[in-house]
Formats: sequence, C-alpha cells, structure tokens
Amino acid sequence: MSQAVEETESREIAEFRAEVRAWLAENRPPKPDFVMPQNFLFVETNEQFEYLRDWQAKVYEAGYLGLDWPAEYGGGGDTLKRQRIVTQETGRAGTPFFVNTIGLQWAGPVILKYGTEEQKKKFLKPILSAEEIWCQGFSEPGAGSDLASVQTRAEPAASGNGWTVNGHKVWTTIGTRAKWMILLARTDPDAGKYPGLSFFLMPMQVPGVEVLPLIKMTGEGGFNQVIFTDAAMPRGAMLGAPGQGWEVAMATLTFERGAAEGTGGGQATSSADTVQRAAKLASQTQRDGRPASEDPLLRDRLVQLWMQEEGLRLGGMRRRVPGLSPDRPMVLALMNKLVYSEYAQNLAELGCEILGPDAALWMGDPNAPADAEWPRAYMNSFGMTIGGGTSEIQRNILGERVLGLPKSK
Amino acid sequence: MADVPGDFGFSDDHEILRDGARRFLEERCPIEEIRRLADDPVGHDPGVWKEMAELGWAGLTIPEAHGGAGLGNLHQALLLEEMGRRLLPSPYLGGALAALAIERAGDAAQQARWLPGIASGDTLASLGWLEPEGSWEPSDVKATARREGDTWVLSGTKAHVPCGADAALVVAPFVADGEIALFAIAGGFQAEAEVSIDPTRRTARLQFDGLAVPDDTRLSGGDLATWRTILLQSAAWLAAEMVGAAEATLGLTRDYAIDRKQFERQIGSFQAVKHPLVDDMIGIELARNHVYGAAAAFDAGETEAAETGARMAKAMASDVLARAVRHGVQFHGGYGFTLDCDMHFYFKRALFCRAMLGDAVHHRRHLAATLFGDTGA
Repeated sequence: MSQAVEETESREIAEFRAEVRAWLAENRPPKPDFVMPQNFLFVETNEQFEYLRDWQAKVYEAGYLGLDWPAEYGGGGDTLKRQRIVTQETGRAGTPFFVNTIGLQWAGPVILKYGTEEQKKKFLKPILSAEEIWCQGFSEPGAGSDLASVQTRAEPAASGNGWTVNGHKVWTTIGTRAKWMILLARTDPDAGKYPGLSFFLMPMQVPGVEVLPLIKMTGEGGFNQVIFTDAAMPRGAMLGAPGQGWEVAMATLTFERGAAEGTGGGQATSSADTVQRAAKLASQTQRDGRPASEDPLLRDRLVQLWMQEEGLRLGGMRRRVPGLSPDRPMVLALMNKLVYSEYAQNLAELGCEILGPDAALWMGDPNAPADAEWPRAYMNSFGMTIGGGTSEIQRNILGERVLGLPKSK
Repeated sequence: MADVPGDFGFSDDHEILRDGARRFLEERCPIEEIRRLADDPVGHDPGVWKEMAELGWAGLTIPEAHGGAGLGNLHQALLLEEMGRRLLPSPYLGGALAALAIERAGDAAQQARWLPGIASGDTLASLGWLEPEGSWEPSDVKATARREGDTWVLSGTKAHVPCGADAALVVAPFVADGEIALFAIAGGFQAEAEVSIDPTRRTARLQFDGLAVPDDTRLSGGDLATWRTILLQSAAWLAAEMVGAAEATLGLTRDYAIDRKQFERQIGSFQAVKHPLVDDMIGIELARNHVYGAAAAFDAGETEAAETGARMAKAMASDVLARAVRHGVQFHGGYGFTLDCDMHFYFKRALFCRAMLGDAVHHRRHLAATLFGDTGA
C-alpha cells in the first residue's frame, strides 16, 4: 500500500472511530435500577431482557451491527474492519452486551456460510435487530465433551412434510426467549456416529417443545433444558445437506470460540473484568491493615494476569498478520477461547482473594462489595471453561490439530 | 496501551529476512556442528561469521550511513528467533548489543568511528552487561572512571560478557563523577574466559585495573536513563532468541512424543504428555506476541510502551523456555538426561538466558510498579 493510501485509510478509520465514540456517548442507555446479568449467558428477568433487546435494536438501527454482512440480508455491506472498531468502542465504553449473541456470533455466520438464499433472507435481519432470539441445541445429558454422540432424533414426518423431533438438550442459554434454535440432531442412526448427524434451524415456539430452567450455582437462571416430544419442524429447516451436521456444527464452534471472523459484531459481555479493574480494587481494599496493592505476592499474581491480558490483545492483532504466524497459521485463533477463559477465571478468583474477608458475603447482603460481583464472576466463569468445549477438550484439539500429536483414546 | 501499529509494521522484507535466515542456519548450523563447536577453543565458526557479515547481519540495525543494513527491531527479533532455534554459537549477540548501545548513546563522531567496523564484522564487539555482584539493575554499577588529565582511568570488573575473551571492543558502564557513564573500550583490559554453563555461548570476566582511556571513548549520551533503555531493549532481543530456542525445544519433544511408544501406544497420545506440551506452545505464542509487540513499539518510537513490552517479553520467555526444556528432558525419559540427547544444549541455553538481563521475577516486580503506578512494594 502506498503511503498516501495508507494515510487516507487511517484518517477514515479514525473519523469512523470518533463517530462511533460520539454516538455511544450520546446514546448509551441509563444505568438500570435492577441487577444486570454479567453476560449473555445469564439473562433472567423480563426487565433485563427488554432492556438489552432495546439496546441491540437501537445499535442496529444506528447502523453499527452486522456492518460486514451483505446489505441484501439486512447487513451494512461494509468492512469487517469497521465492525471491529464498533466492537472495540462498545467494549471501551462499557455499554451493555448484545442479547442476541447466539444469533450474531453463531447462527448468523453459519447461515451465511451454509444457508440457502431463502434462509438468508428469512433469518439474518431479525438476528441483527434482535426481533428473533436464537438459542443453541448441541449438548445433551449424554453428549457433553463427546458432542458427536447426540441422540436427539429428527425423522421425516409421517405427513411427509418436514420433520419430527424427539430428544433432550441441555445448557440451552436463553431458551425461554428464543424463537429459533440451531439444532444438531441424528437423522440416520445407521450411518455411523458422524455422518448420521444433520443440522437444523428449529422453531422453538411450537407444540412438543418444552423449556425447563436450570439453576446455576450462583442461584441465577439463564440456562435451560429443552425436551422435544414429537415436535414438528417444517420442510426447509435443514441447514446444509443431510449428513453434513457435524461439519456445520464444527464451523459453528469455530465461530463460537472466536476462531473465525465475520460474526456480525458484538461484544457478549458488559463487564470489563480487566487487570486494571482488579488493580484498582486492590488499591481500595485493606488487607491486614494495609492496602492490598502493597502485598508483593498479590501484585505478582496480578502482573502475571496482566501479561496474559496484554498477550491476548497483541495476539488478536497478530492473528491478522499471517506473515507473523507462518509455521502454525491457526494457533492463535484456536487457542484464544482456552487462554481467554482461563485468564478470566483466574482474574475473577484473584478478585475474590483481594476482597479478603468480604469475599465471604453473597449477593443481597448490604455489605457485600459491589453485590458480590467478583465471587459471582468467578462462579460464572466456569460457563466459559466448560461451555463451547471444555478446556480439556481444547487442549486435545490444540495438541492434535496444531501440534500433530496422536489422538488420545 | 494502544501504541503498537496494527500490523506490527510487518512487510515482505521481514519475511524475506526470516526465510533466508532459516535456510542459511539450517545448512550452516546442524546439531553436529553444535556438538563440534561445544568442544572448540573459539566456540564459533569464523567462516560462518564472515558469511553472516556478508549477508549484512552483523550490521542489521546499524544505520546505512555507517555501513549497516538500517533495519529495525522487528527484523532483529525475527533474525534472533531463527538463531535461537538453531542455538547458533556466534559473536552476533554481543556485537548487536554493543552497536545498539553506541547508536543510543554515542554522538555522530563516535558512531562513525565504531559502527562501520561492527557492521562489516571486522570488529568483534560486546556489551558489559553485568558485574560480579550480579545485579540486573542499571544503576548498580561499581566500576569507576576517574578523570586524570585528558584521560579516564577505568577500574572494576565486568562479568558474563558474551564472547568477552575475543571482543576487540566492549561497551560498559562506569561511575564517573558520581553518575553512570558508558565507555567504548577498544582492548587494554584483561579477559579471563569463564566456564559458561551454555557450551554454545562463551563468556568472559573482564578486569579493568586502572586502564587509561582517551576522553572521547566516553559515549556522550550514556547516562543512566539511556543505559536502562539499552538494557531493556537488549532484554527484548534476547527474549526473541529465547522464543526461538523454546520453539525448537518443543519441536524436538513433540517429535519424540510421536516416535516413542510405551504400553503399545505413542506417548504423545497420553494427556499427561500432550497437555503440558500444549501449554508450552501457548506460552511460546504469548511470549512471541510480546516479543513482536515490544519490537514494533521500539520501531514506532513508543519507548515507554516498548519498555513495558520488553519486560513482559523477557519475563514470559524466561518462564516459557525454562518450562519447555524441563518438559523436554522429562518427556525424553532416561535418554533425555544423557549427554547423547540434544536436549541438554537447550536446557543449558535456557539457564544461561534466564540469568541474563533480568529474570521473570525481576521484570514482574518492575511491571507491578508500572501497573500500580508506585515505586514498588
């Protein structure tokens, strides 16, 4: 790129960034008087949901969501670079997360990749506007880390029109609000573990679909189980071809783990659990009569997390420069979920330790620091180290696909 | 810290340098050569050094006006990473660091006087980075320079000086009139070879017993702040070399874990072996992010961010390389702890590099002060 072109481009980017920043300052919603969930996994009450849905709709209407999706499907037909700037700026501004995260980051991208023209026209715009909420039906009671062992069946309907679904899904985030589910189901029990699977876009608000809340260790809801009993799924619900379910599911997980680009934009969490925040907490918290920030052992642990945080940030930049990862082109993308989730978990736990005795107070106690947000974040962090493929599975994937080590049996 | 260019300043010529270096070093520095040079009195191959100088490496970051290639920190990091990968025994590092010090602290005349010789490979140069007491703090200098007429009289000891026994020019700090001052000294000191733990890296202890040197050997900009920056930039460069060594270590261990069978299975299929290797790989990639980040920040002139990045790079590279070689020996089993196995070369390199220019704990202690905006706990 010539210097002149580069300068023009960087000026345009800077102008766009300033525009987004100004819009966010002007339009950020007032702080609600109710407790907000810490991320999209934990939306519970109607008031939380409506508040978040209104926010996503507003951002979409302003033209700051789905910037890189094609215009004919409701997107902005613009560049990924500009979408990233919006994501950076919403994170920086600490505005609420986008409630339709599964739609924006999982379902939307796979529909763009595998969908028919009809499916793209039908589903993508309401994802961006948050009119239609999406959930994910992958895990089952007997299919966790071994996802391909799903038993939920989708059989051709007796009427000859569409499919009939029977089975049991778990950890269905936002299932009570969802209009649609991305569903991994077995269509051919004789075809073998992987080729027997197909991928569907399943309507949730139909007879035979029962959504039962699961309560997490924090006492909060957000997750559900879904029981399918002869639930009807229309013709045209399949995404991709019969037997292609595993491939589409793996592509979904690649988006989910942040390993692929083009996820419509979006920040999935509102809390900026950064090392800076924990450092501030340490400065303001007394420990044995002195500021916790003067404890050399706590300082060192915080610095180790800072190095991780900064390493992740730089890794996000390095990922976009292929020449700086010639020997292992996929490693930065594939390790991101593992490293980030463990970093966030360690940071939340350290936050609890910095609190000292007051870490023993739970939500609702008037003396609990910030309504126990650090212990709550620590408990919730297991959603990230278990969901989307456990850390142990991530290590197997990295060991086998990136390092080329033999499969673990 | 939004101060590193989004693309790290990476361009085609970085790629050309790295690929060329990889090919050249694969050919010139196979493990048999490492074994031969480990027992060689000089410890490196002067023919290879001459070739490296002809490739322009000896003056990689030296300005073109002084006979160098005029390239940046990211070039340096990529080249050092390749050298670390092969454990290249070479006077390269000392020369690069001496040139760095002269560029940062020397005036135009001093640069014109010394840099061309380093760039051509004719002057073997090095940096007096430590004293026998072993402090990594730039302010901890005991060697003194006393003015006598129009000369300076240097007294004191410099330890662990890379290629110190062969160096014709050494840049080192001395306390002159109560302040840190850097001198470029062209011989006259006594050099005694140390028994380095790392057979691929020779060091020496230099003794200055009232050595009189001319006034113009004192680098005009060599104050404490500059010396501090030189040491941190050096740490970032050494971290690049360490990442290369860690990468090679991981590669050897990985290959062995695929070849070696126990209980009728490849040992790499056991998660007790696989998962630690994955963690090593992740550590290497994170350390590499810091190495490239610090290099890009130095290239962009963002010195404060670069110095934080340099500390992170050296802290992480020190731990990651130490862990990789530890797993390397352990997972090679009984063979891993023999002199026949190549792993011991990497193990010893890890011990050496960790001990130079600040270890992980040292840099993390400074980083904590940066994070909390205080002077340290």
